[in-house]
Amino acid sequence: MSSTHAAIASAALPAGSSTAATASKALTVGIVGLVLTALGVAVTPDKHGPVMSYLVGITFCTSILIGMLMLILIHHIVDASWSVVIRRQFEHALSAFKWLFVLFLPLLVLAWVKPGFVWPWMDLGHELHGHGTVGTDILYQKKAGFLNLNMFTGMTLAFFAGWVWLSARLRKASFTQDLDGDIKWTFMNRQTAAFGLPIGALTLSFAAIYWVKSLEYHWFSTMYGVWFFANCIRGALAIGVIIMIWLWNRGDYKGVLNTNHFYSIGMLAFAFTVFWAYITFSQYFLIWNANVPEETFWYNLREVNHDGSTNQWWYVGLVLLFGHFFVPFLYLLSYKHKVVHSKIKPIMWWILAVILVDMCYNILPALKDGHGDSLPFLSLNLLWVLTSVVGIGGVCTWSYLKSFPTAKLLPIRDPRISESLTHHE
Amino acid sequence: MAAPSYGLIATFDTTPDLYHAAEKVRDAGYRHWDCITPFPVHGLDKAMGLKRSIVPRISLCGGIAGFCTGMSMIWWTGAVDYPLIVGGKPLFSPMFAFPVSYELTILFTAFATIGGMLFLNGLPMHYHPVLKYEHIRRGMDDQFFLVIETRDPRFNLANTKALLEKAGGKNISELEA
Repeated sequence: MSSTHAAIASAALPAGSSTAATASKALTVGIVGLVLTALGVAVTPDKHGPVMSYLVGITFCTSILIGMLMLILIHHIVDASWSVVIRRQFEHALSAFKWLFVLFLPLLVLAWVKPGFVWPWMDLGHELHGHGTVGTDILYQKKAGFLNLNMFTGMTLAFFAGWVWLSARLRKASFTQDLDGDIKWTFMNRQTAAFGLPIGALTLSFAAIYWVKSLEYHWFSTMYGVWFFANCIRGALAIGVIIMIWLWNRGDYKGVLNTNHFYSIGMLAFAFTVFWAYITFSQYFLIWNANVPEETFWYNLREVNHDGSTNQWWYVGLVLLFGHFFVPFLYLLSYKHKVVHSKIKPIMWWILAVILVDMCYNILPALKDGHGDSLPFLSLNLLWVLTSVVGIGGVCTWSYLKSFPTAKLLPIRDPRISESLTHHE
Repeated sequence: MAAPSYGLIATFDTTPDLYHAAEKVRDAGYRHWDCITPFPVHGLDKAMGLKRSIVPRISLCGGIAGFCTGMSMIWWTGAVDYPLIVGGKPLFSPMFAFPVSYELTILFTAFATIGGMLFLNGLPMHYHPVLKYEHIRRGMDDQFFLVIETRDPRFNLANTKALLEKAGGKNISELEA
């Protein structure tokens, strides 16, 4: 049975030219998005809005790539079988990490040129609302060894170096095995997974802390890295399903995927929906229950203005509660919704959309007016969020499509390939 | 007088034999019949024309019941039966009722799943007519059996026997009820 599958699979290897056209289209769309974002920075009087929106975009796209990296590492460490058929697509996507680094550079340069513009703690003279400056703030002084420009720069460089390096190792081992079929590449990947998982866990947690959480450096939350991880994996799974259906419709994956592959990835998406809710609720619940001002202020910014009136972020929070948890949770309970292509695809796009809203919820309230209230959610910034996502996402898609014809559709000499092709059959 | 008959049992040597026989019996429209195999055979449920189990629906009901139990229990104890202000919190909030509701959702879902499964498959079952069949132990080792019950509306001793023979069944014999 496996031999017929393999025959179909090798017959359906991608033709390079068919993705080349799509790749250049993706690059064009990406560049247009980036140019529009740059235009947004140029025409907006208060440039904080578009720059923060760009931070939302790059965090969103990076989170998906990190999720793919973590999924491949988990795949290797547990010696998984069914996911062999989709692993290759994630490996192609990992090629985009270097471009994400290039696209992060403007923020890094900005941090040096105008310290405190994005992350207020970088400017020791930055006026805090009602109590002195950052430099005189005891909460900053105690964290200064961690929160300083050199650390931020070094860590950001280290994050990308780690991700690019791990990706290169995984891609090299997997692609080379296609050619020589040597089992040593499988063992190399397993070793990469063994030290790559702690590296991945630490870098993604610190990236979330430096890039996003430190926007409100007074805040404390020990759940933050895990919250980010949950979004990373959910985003990666969503893109994974979308790629699976795209390649199915193109014909590449016909005879390769069966119902059970969709069931398995759908179950993972369901499980991480619950995981996200567990982490996000726990963070909120512990802060709500303890009621300590150093922690509650973060949620207060996202619920009320200084005069006690409800602000827009309160409703965004409800959108997250229902849209990021209840809707996908109830929807993905059904078996059919996990295996029928036309049913699982819309919920995956939906999940991607709410992850973006979640990133907005965590980043954009750092933009404040004269009273220290968060600027509203519904504003022109949403446009710059969208142009950033289209821009950065377009470049990532281009990178994926460019890598796509450089290797076979499936890791055909992976020791578990036939087990994967006949998953639960 | 002969004892009432439970049905016909046929023996198969390989999984593909059984699989294709099951497809034939399914296509002939039988409803009260079963396959006996030493191990789970992937795809056999499809060959037998079995629909997906309704256990997940029972699980869902259990989960909803658990969630509602948790919420109403915390509300009743904290806000009705013995109102007490703790830590400046309201007498009832879904916030602190949530961990309890969440745990009860899982607990009741597990109960409903296990209970629903046992209810639907009739386990534990202390007696089954096939246990009287002398070769049935091979069904735990290296042989496969297909049983069609007499209570099936389509059951007809001669025709059913012919169907099983045509499907490749060996040693077709009648089972005592």
